[in-house]
Parts: sequence; C-alpha cells; structure tokens
Amino acid sequence: MAALVVPTHRQPPAIYRAARALRWASSLVLVLLIIYAGTVAYSAVEVAHSSVQSRSLSASFAPNGTVEVGGSFTLSNPGLYPVDGVTLTARIANGAGVLLGKLAVGPNDIAPSSTGVFPFDLYLPVSASGPATSLLTEDQYLGVNAWGNATYAYLFPISVSLTETRSWGAPFEGFQATVGTPSGGGGTVTIPITVTFSNHAGSPDTGTIAFVIESPGFVECGGGSFVINVPSGGFYDQTQNVALSPGCNPSGGQVLSTYLSSGGSTPLPPEAIP
Amino acid sequence: MSSPGRVVVPKQEAGAYRVPSLGYRILVAALRLIPSFFLLVALPVAVLAFVNSQGVAIPISTNAVIVWGFLLLGLGTARSILKPTRAYGPLSVATSLVSILYLLYLIALSPYRLVVPGGSASIAAGYSMFLELAMIVPAIGLVAGLLITIEDARAPTERLPFDYPA
Repeated sequence: MAALVVPTHRQPPAIYRAARALRWASSLVLVLLIIYAGTVAYSAVEVAHSSVQSRSLSASFAPNGTVEVGGSFTLSNPGLYPVDGVTLTARIANGAGVLLGKLAVGPNDIAPSSTGVFPFDLYLPVSASGPATSLLTEDQYLGVNAWGNATYAYLFPISVSLTETRSWGAPFEGFQATVGTPSGGGGTVTIPITVTFSNHAGSPDTGTIAFVIESPGFVECGGGSFVINVPSGGFYDQTQNVALSPGCNPSGGQVLSTYLSSGGSTPLPPEAIP
Repeated sequence: MSSPGRVVVPKQEAGAYRVPSLGYRILVAALRLIPSFFLLVALPVAVLAFVNSQGVAIPISTNAVIVWGFLLLGLGTARSILKPTRAYGPLSVATSLVSILYLLYLIALSPYRLVVPGGSASIAAGYSMFLELAMIVPAIGLVAGLLITIEDARAPTERLPFDYPA
C-alpha cells in the first residue's frame, strides 16, 4: 500500500533566524561603509588637488588711520561630499611679535561640485598711536598665523594651521621731511623742506602730504602740502619753500606730516628738526 | 508528482544535512583568506608604506597593522572551519570583540596630525566618528555570535540542516 507523507514545513529556529538576519545586516552595513570610505578617499584626493587659492589681494588706506588689506580666497570642492563649517582665523604680527590685526572668516559650507569664495577684510592700525605705525615707513616681514577648521563628508573634522612670514612693502618707505637752512631777511623768512620716500606698496600713493613746522614750544611756524601721485615702486623727492611766521624759530622743533587721501587722513611719523 | 509507494520528504524539512569534510572547509577558508588578507593586511600596509616613503609620518606602525590583521584573519579562518561545531558561536563573539578592540585602538590614535614637509603647516584629520560608526558592524556580529552560542547550547545540531542542507 502506498504511503504519502505530507511534509510539514519546518522553519529554522527563531534564534537562528535572528542571528542570520543580523549577519546579513552586518554584511550590508560593512559594504555600505566600504563604499562610503572609498568615495570619501576619492573625493578627498580630488579636493586636495584643487588647493586653496587667494586672489584679488589689495591694500589701501581706510578711515580711522588704518590700512585695509582686502581680498578673497577660493576653495574648490569637486568631490562627492560637502565641506561644512569652513572657518578661518588669521593673526598678523610684526617682526617684534606685536599683534597688528586679525581676521575671521566663516563659518560657511561648500556643497559638492562647487566652489566656495570667502571674502575678507583686515584692518591694520597705522595711526601714530597704533602698534603698526612702522608699516607706513619700513619694509618688514610680518608673521602670519592662520587656523582653519572644517568638517568633510559629515564625519571627518579637519583642522589646518599655517605659520609663515610675508614681506610687507611700506607705502612711504624711508619717509623723510628734511628742513633746510632758513633764508631771507627783513619781513619774510623762508625755509626749504624736502620730502622723500619710496612707494614699496602694491598700490599707488595718491593724495596730499600736508605738513606743519613746529617750534620746540609747539608753536606753528608754518606749513604747506605736497600733491603726490606715486605709483607702486616709484620714488618721490620734492622740495618747497615755506614762509615762516615772524619771530618763529623752528630749530629743535619738528615736522608733523599727514597723508590725506580718499581713504581719510593718516599721520606720518614726525621728523625732528636739528 | 509522486509515484505510488514512494515517500517524498523534502530533505531539509526532514532535518537532513551534510557537513562538508574538514579538508573542504579548510580549502574554502583558505580561499576566503585571500580577499580578507588583502583588505586587512596587504592594502593598509601598502598605503602606510607609500605614505611613509613620501616623508610623511604615519599614525600607526605597520607592525601593529600586521599583528591585528593576522589576529583577525586567524580568528576568521578558525570560525569558518569550525562553523559546524559548537565553537562557531564563541569564535564569532571573539572575532567581533577583537574587531571592536582594533577599532578602539585606532580611535585612540585619532586625530591624525600631519606636518607638511617644511614645517610651515600642519593638518589634523579626525576619523573617530567614522570608526565609531564602523563599530556597528562587529557589534551586530557580536550579538549574532551570542545568539548562535545560545542556539547551539539549546539544541547543538538544530541549525546544521539550514547551514548545510543535504
């Protein structure tokens, strides 16, 4: 007699099914992580190849006795993941280590396959009372310390620090306001004053240098002005005679000069009169 | 269609299984070693050696990578060979634990600080968040290994028809 056994469907044990499902989940996560890590590495190499570029860097006189260094830098992100929270902080000190100014940029995000442009303005105080007066008349090397932070591909925080020295070209390098020997007699006494300097800055010196001749007792003996238009790299050397006030002897006094431009007025270092 | 007089019993449902021979399991484990060796030892060591040859300090010694890599390879191979036995679950747990320890060791080395040759710039790259995310994989494996251990303790051969259907 034929026998037919109808099989009963047998399920794997519940614990075994759970373990198998977990192994599959684990394998899936591992594959996704490997794909993610691979694409992150590829994108990071792409970003590294498109290095940071600075452009349109310029320096100009600004109000309140400052020199404005403005510009922008660009960071390309040709990769597949965003660069989030890009911040940059920079501090600039003179050769003696005195802090002249600092700037902060960001935070900004750079989407994948795009370029971030980060404009910045740095104001360096060059007034007579500021720490950076020498920037007007002395070429020097400035210490630049910069720090940048960002997060790449959501999970990778990156920080960059940079220390370097940059040469600074003074707009009135070697500035001198030299007083000559008084001449004349009777009612009018004149004295020649010669202004010399070199423009080592990247932009022209355009405007007026106004000066006042003071006696040792801070009495104004006379004054005048030079109209200047000195291109970058140019040299200036001009003399003019100034009529002194009757009875005013400038010997032992000083010449106070001020640069007047569209950016405002900037005091130049005083020159002693022998 | 069944013919009269024959009993049709699906093998798996009847609980039949056929465990491969030890030699066959060793062969399969050895074949699995090839990609695992590439991923766990050869590729990391090659990358580290290349970076080091460029004058860049590497965050981890190649010896450490080799030791951790071979430890994981050994456990993985033993686990594969002993899959039909009750040691499979504990070995899965051990492999996951060693993987977690390896990741924790790597996390302790984060961030990776790179000084650009010349010394004017330095870069620090943190990767701990990624490794913490990667710990999900051995953590899941650890739970799976515990479940297999429990299953084998409860019914030692119950899973074999499903792992090795005849």
